[in-house]
Parts: sequence; C-alpha cells; structure tokens
Amino acid sequence: MFVTDIRKEFYDVVVNQRVALLVSADIDALCACKILQALFHCDHVQYTLVPVTGWQDLGTAFLEHKEQIKLLIKQDDDLGVPSYDDIFRDDEDEDEDGDGGDSGNESDGGSEPSGKRRRIERQRAKREWEARRREILFDYEQYEYHGTSASMVMFELAWVMTKDTKDMLWWSIIGLTDQWVHDKITHMKYVTDIATLQRHVSRHNHRNEDEENSLSIDCMRISFEYEYPVQYCEKCSHESWWECTRAIQEILQDGAASILPLKQVRQKFNSMDLSIKENLREVIEESSNKFGMKDIRVQTFSVHFGFKNRFLASDVVHAAAALLESVEKDEGATDNFIKALDCLSRSNIEKLHLGIDLTIASCICTNLILSQGPFLYCHLLEGTPDVKLFSKPLALTLLCKYLLKAFVCSTRNKRCKVLPLIMAAPMDVEKGTVIVLGIPPESETSDKKNFFGRAFEKAAESTSSRTLHDHFDTSIIELKMEDRGKFLDALITLLS
Amino acid sequence: MPTENLTDKRLSKFKNKGKDPLKMRERRVAECVELRKAQRVESILKRRNIEFQPVEEPLSPEYNTDNQQVISATIQEIIENVNSDCPERQTQGCQTARKLLSRERNPPLKEVVEAGLLSRFVEFLSRNDNPTLQFEAAWSLTNVASGTSWHTQQVVEHGAVPAFISLLASPMLNISEQAVWALGNIAGDGPSYRDALIDCNVIPALLARLTPDAPVGYLRNLTWTLSNLCRNKNPFPRFSAVQQMLPSIIQLLHHSDKSVLSDACWAISYLTDGPNERIDVIIKTGILPRLVELLTFEELAVVTPALRSIGNIVSGSDVQTQAAIDAGVLTALPKLMRHPKPNVQKEAAWAVSNIAAGPRPQIQQLITCGLLSPLVDLLKNADFKTQREAVWAVTNYTSGGTVEQVVQLVKCGGLEAILNLLTVKDAKTVLVILDAINNIFLAAEKLGEVEKLCLLVEELGGLDRIELLQNHENNTVYRAAQALIEKYFSEDAADECLKTEATETDFVFGPTEVQRRFDF
Repeated sequence: MFVTDIRKEFYDVVVNQRVALLVSADIDALCACKILQALFHCDHVQYTLVPVTGWQDLGTAFLEHKEQIKLLIKQDDDLGVPSYDDIFRDDEDEDEDGDGGDSGNESDGGSEPSGKRRRIERQRAKREWEARRREILFDYEQYEYHGTSASMVMFELAWVMTKDTKDMLWWSIIGLTDQWVHDKITHMKYVTDIATLQRHVSRHNHRNEDEENSLSIDCMRISFEYEYPVQYCEKCSHESWWECTRAIQEILQDGAASILPLKQVRQKFNSMDLSIKENLREVIEESSNKFGMKDIRVQTFSVHFGFKNRFLASDVVHAAAALLESVEKDEGATDNFIKALDCLSRSNIEKLHLGIDLTIASCICTNLILSQGPFLYCHLLEGTPDVKLFSKPLALTLLCKYLLKAFVCSTRNKRCKVLPLIMAAPMDVEKGTVIVLGIPPESETSDKKNFFGRAFEKAAESTSSRTLHDHFDTSIIELKMEDRGKFLDALITLLS
Repeated sequence: MPTENLTDKRLSKFKNKGKDPLKMRERRVAECVELRKAQRVESILKRRNIEFQPVEEPLSPEYNTDNQQVISATIQEIIENVNSDCPERQTQGCQTARKLLSRERNPPLKEVVEAGLLSRFVEFLSRNDNPTLQFEAAWSLTNVASGTSWHTQQVVEHGAVPAFISLLASPMLNISEQAVWALGNIAGDGPSYRDALIDCNVIPALLARLTPDAPVGYLRNLTWTLSNLCRNKNPFPRFSAVQQMLPSIIQLLHHSDKSVLSDACWAISYLTDGPNERIDVIIKTGILPRLVELLTFEELAVVTPALRSIGNIVSGSDVQTQAAIDAGVLTALPKLMRHPKPNVQKEAAWAVSNIAAGPRPQIQQLITCGLLSPLVDLLKNADFKTQREAVWAVTNYTSGGTVEQVVQLVKCGGLEAILNLLTVKDAKTVLVILDAINNIFLAAEKLGEVEKLCLLVEELGGLDRIELLQNHENNTVYRAAQALIEKYFSEDAADECLKTEATETDFVFGPTEVQRRFDF
C-alpha cells in the first residue's frame, strides 16, 4: 500500500491488529523486517512472518492468509506511483461485445445485481481511459526502479516514535548497503542516504559516551568508515580495471617485480584485517592520484561487536546474500539470515568473489561476450567452473555487473561500451532452464533504471517462450533452454 | 442466502411482518436511505450496457470536466435552453444535460436537481410530437433516479412515474426501453416505491412489452426491472403482483441469453426468500426442473442465483424439499460442492445442511446420491465459511438420522473431519461439532459400541482436543466439552459401558474399522 504518513496511516493502523508480514527474500527487506519485528515486539503486536521469494509465492501466501489479512506489507519500494483512479475503476460498465457480463474483477457474475443503474455514455471515454492507463502503466512498469531502502523507511518510523535503537540503525545501514552493493540505487542516492544515517550514528554514539559500559564486550559501536572497494573498482574510468588492480598489487608487494596471481592478491586483501586496510588508505590515495583516478573511496559503516569483531556493512551484505541464496526457499531463509548475522561467514564471501573473478577472467579471455546489436550477450556454459554459484540471482547480478565493467574497460569498440548486457546461466539442468538477467549500460550518470523487465515480458509473449517472471526484480527471469534462441531474436528485434 | 444463518429448517420460518402496504408507501423509510447509500458506495455496478446507441457523437472533454465553474455555467445554459419555447433549444438543453449525467465519473446529479430542471424534464416526457426530446429527457431522468434515495425521491415527486408508465407504450423502442430502465431504478429504491409502481399498474404495462420480437438488449432491461419488482422484503411484494409476473418470469427463465437468465433467476431467488407460502407459489409453477438445470450451467451469473433459489426452497417444509429432490437437485449438488468459487461451495453446503435437517428418507437420499463424500471433502478442505455450513449439515444429519445412517457418515470420514475442526476459533461452530459428536455417541449407545467409539475418537486425536476444550474461554463450550468427557470418557462412564449389552453384530466402531480408516 502507498502511504504518506507512515506512522498514522500504517503503524497506528496495524498496531492493534494481527498482521501478516510477507517479506521478500532480499536483504533490504529482511532488515526492514527486523526493525519492524523489534517494534512489534515492543508493542506486543501479533504477527506472522512469511518469507516470499517471488510473485507466485506472494500470491500463494496471500491466498493462504487471506481470511485474516487486512493490510499487506511488502518490502519493495517504488516511486512515482500513479494515482489509484487512473489505474483502477469501479466497473460501471463492461465489454459491449462480451457475453455473460463477466468482465473485470472476480466478484463479477457471482454477486447480486445492483439496485439501480446509471446509463453511461462510455464508448470513446472508455477507449481514451484505457489508452491513458496503458501509457501510465507502461511508464511505471517499464523501468525497474528502486526508491528509498525499506529498512531506512522503517528506521525512520522507529525514530519518529522515539523507539529507535542501535540495532535498528545497524539494520538500516545494512539495508541501504545492500541496495548499493547490488547496484539498485545511484551513487548520489547512496551518498545522500548515507549522510542521513551518519547523523543517526553520531546521535547514537553521542548518546553512549557517558555510558559506563562503553568498554564492555557487549557494547555495539557503529563507526563511519571509508571503504575501498578496490577489488571492484567502481570509479575506474580512465584506467583499465586490470591496471588498477595491478597497481594495488604493486603496492602490496612493495613494488616487487614478481606479481602474484590476481586472485591471490585479492584474497589477501580481503582477508586483511580492517586496521591494516586503514593503513593502506593513504598509500592507495597516493597511487590513485598517481594514476589520475578519481576518488575511489566510498563512504560506509562498520560495526564493532566486543573487541575483536569488526565488520563492514558490505561484508555483511555479501555474507547474507551468499547465505540467502544457498538455501532452499522455505522459512529457513529468514532463520538463516539471522544466523548469518550471528556468525559472519567470511569464507562464503571469499568463495563468491573468487568465483566471480575467475569467471570474469575466463569470459573475457575466451571472448564469450558477444554483441547482438542492441545489447551484449554472454551465456555461461554448463562446464564453466563455479557455474553453480551463478544460478542464483544475486550472485549472477554481481557477476554481470563486474563483467560489464571489465568488458567495457577491455574493449576497444566504442559502440560496445554503451551497450547493456544480458547474461544467461544454467539454472536447473534437469528441468532445462536458464536464468537470464539484463543490466543497463555502464555509465557514470546512470539513473539505475532497468527496462529489461518489460522487454523480457514482451519478448516472451511474442515468441510464446516458456518463462517464469517470478522474481520481484523483474529484470531477472527463468527461461527454458530450448526457447533461448527465439527469445533472444525477439529481444533483438524489440530493442533495435 | 438470507443474512440469518438458516440452518435447521424448523428454525427457518419467516415471520411476515404484515405491514400495511399503504403505510409503507407513504412513509419515507429512513433506513432505506442509509442502506441504499451504503450500497451505492460499496456496490460495483455490473450491468451490461444496452447495445442500441442512438447518439453517435462521442463525449467531448467539456462534459468530463470536474471544474465546478464550468459545470455551473453549463447548467445555466441548460436552464435557459430548457425553459425556452423553442423545441430545438429545449432538445439541445436536454441533450447537454444528458451528456453531463452520463459521463464516466461524478455526474452532477445534485446540481441538476437543485437547478430545478426535473419539472421540465418530466414535462418533456409527454411530448409525443418530439421523440428526441422525450428520449433525452427520459435518459436524464433515468440517471438522476440512479442515485441515492434522495435523488430517486426527487424524480418521483416531480411526477415522473405516470409519465414513464405511459412511455412504456411508445412506438419508439429506444424510448420505451429508457422508460423500462427508469422504472427499474425507481422500483429498485425499496419496497415503498416498488409497491407504489405496482399500484400504478406498471406490471401489465411492462408485460405487454414482452414480445417475441423484442431485441435482446430490451429484454435484458425488462427482466432486470421485473426482478426489481420482485425484490425486497418488509414487506414482500403482494401475492397478486407476484402471480401477475410469474408466468413471464418463467418464460424468461427459458431464454437463451445469459443476462436475461441471470436476472430472471435472481427474481426467483427474491421470491423464494420468504415464508413457506411464498415458496409454494414458486414450486407450483413447475419451475423446479428448470432451476436444477440452470445449476449445471457454466456461467457463474446463472449458477449463483439458481443455487440461491434452490437453497431457499429446501429451507422450507419437508414437502417442498422433497419437490426439489424429486426435480434432481441431489444430482447437481456434488459438482457444486466442488465448484472453484468458494461462495458456490458455501451455498451448496448450506442447501445440504437444510436437506439433512429433513426426515430420514431424505437423509437416505443424501447417501444414495453420493453427497457424503463431497461433504466430508468440504469439511476437510474448504474455506471456513463453507466448513461452517458443512458442520451444520453433519449435526443436522446425526440428529435426525438413523443409527445406520450415522454409521455411514462415520465410515465416510465424517467423524474424523469434524474432530479436526474442533480447533477452530469460532465457539459457536465448536458447539455445533460437540453436538454432532454427542449425536454420534447416542447412535453408538444404541449399538452398544460406546467403548469402541471412544477408542476411535481417541485414535483420531479427538479426545485430546475435547479435553483441551475444557479450558476454553467460552462457558458453554467448556461445559459441553466437560459433559462429553464425563459422560463417555471418565471412569464412571467406563462402568456404564460394561453394563450395556454387546450386540452380536459386527462391532461397527471396532478396531477393524479403525484400521481401515487409517490405511492410507
């Protein structure tokens, strides 16, 4: 539902009801869920938690709980929502040519006739309305677009009710970081929202200064950090990605002649203690200036639990993502997420990143990325090492993102540099399905709008391809292997 | 289905309030206004638009504006035109009004009324020399009358009714049809205006228009209006009026158009929603076989009112129920109990519950026509409202059935299914289930198989649930649960069992039965 005053129109309404919370399996959603759970716990609100992994799941869960549901809370933010009346309307009239009078909503046909009827002049008006509606929906649905992180919205709710805690703040930081890591928001948005969160962090830290237990092992402190996502060199625009990493290698090797294999360097960097990373900061700044690279630092947060455990928000996101995707879809998803936070598994992150590196390397070296005209296309074959990792949406998204960056850096073809990328990877070998996703072209000024959802739908429709558009992120679909050819052809035609 | 939970037929006698129709007619029923308002706000108007569109030009934007000033100005213009002596200007004014009133959203009904335009519109209705004028005026008035009770009242008080009744006989089909529509709106306002129209002899005038060559669209409007004349209670339409309309309604029930069928069915459902005398009138028309046939139609719009009618009929006397059974309703019901729409399932279960409240031969027919198995399925899988009806069916059945009949139900899984429902939140339903369990135990007593039944109940997990119910917050529930436990599951009860003579027949509730039940 769409609300303007989240406290009055949402929280105050649900606080006295029994709530069903349908939560999509992405990290921002789960973080928002955690915050909401904490608030509910405070106010003794009874709720049922139902993780959903896609539209079908959502539908099923809704039907199951339909009797008791009054309010549906789905953690997925969109902006620019069209007005209700432009999209829905009371069906005062029906299809002239239809029979049985059973058009429209399901309560049709089965209910008592109305006591009175108005005779409406509707032919042209209806056509005009329908055309307008189609336009609006296309504009709205055309782009996959994310607004403010759900967990931030929930945190603000908690703050407005002066019930915000440090835990909730940390959750919302993770939620925001998730959006950033998975490239769902623009850099500007990230920076703006980080600034907001920074204010909250300061407020909370300030609050705790006088606490006597500031040295206790249970104390949680959130610090503002700079992170160098060097391994993913986001801002590398002048130099090739390889060169940038090579530069880091040099630094780490203290300029030694022999250069370690890329992956080992990265491993080393990843497993480095944060404190060491900090010391590198100045060194890196220097060399980045040397190479004329723009400020590659990104602002983020880290949390300290006790004395030894210190985690960067993005690490948490990666760990959680890896865990989320390594389980079967059940209620296990939520429990595992909670587990993830209790014992961060660094090995999972490493495994994933390693996999990404290897795959990128092999794709580029073997010229696996092909230009199809309006877009680039890369199909991961079954035999590719670590290919199983990429049958999952989040992992594939990351791979896709960095592959495109690497490709853009490594290609000399100017035209290819501004093309979007579609990737396909085997999903379920037995069922013969592939997972397909599309990302917009690599661009600094990218507004992160992704039109592939709509394009995939249309291509599937026009070729009667067997697809499943179940993901909340509409630019990710499942497709039957055999339909791949015609589906791609349709896409090419569509996007030309 | 009437709003009261009609369950036991013996409870479903209606009390005819016996109000004086004259009084009803004069009175402005305040509740009616509220009801209609609420209905208007909530209802989704699903009427099919008629095909005949005499005016070709589309509605231009100025008629669609929400701008109050523009609307005011337009209405001013209408007033001037309509009050002039020039026929062309009068027609123009009416047409402008019609366009305003027939636009998609927020037609300015109130503004038109307050502009004092209604008297002129009604005047124009009698202008037989100018059909276009008549038509535009009729359409405008129809739309005003489609509003709240207040709007309809305004139309009536300006003398529209006699004029519209006259227009029914207009040689121009579109005008006649518009009159049908307008009168439908007025009749639909409530029993008061419905009866006023009947007193003005609207029924013969309408029925005269029911000719074989009437176009389908016209027929649809006619059927709808007739159904409104059958509609509403407090009071019901008087018998003489119903008798007048029935033959035509029966005729329409044999038409091929689904909308016509649907509205005709609804008319029957209204007419059967009353005391047994009302039901008798319908049954005497011989319409039952056709109603049962309509139950098998694909279209939900037809099935729903047909099922409602049948449900009403079997909530009547045993004789009336038998008439329905004889017409084949039990063959149609199983499919309806498996219908994809929960509402249809629910109403089918309701009908079964009323048949199960009948005499033993009727209960036997439930068995022979294979209704037990779908009933148990509903108990297991349907949505709660349907389950509730099914539970009533079981209780009625076990209350009125013979021992053998009760045993049949248990063998079909009925006991297991209701035991599983003991955990529902609704205390009333739990009580009904406990009742049914008691009834089954009574049957067991007659067979001397109480102990076996206890074992069965225990194995099915029922004993645990009944024991838990002893802690229920509802007094009646925990007392009933306690009573059940004390009577059959306590130490003393065991002794009582031993005293009863065991019969020679197979232990009906015995272990072999238990095993069979659990052999999945």
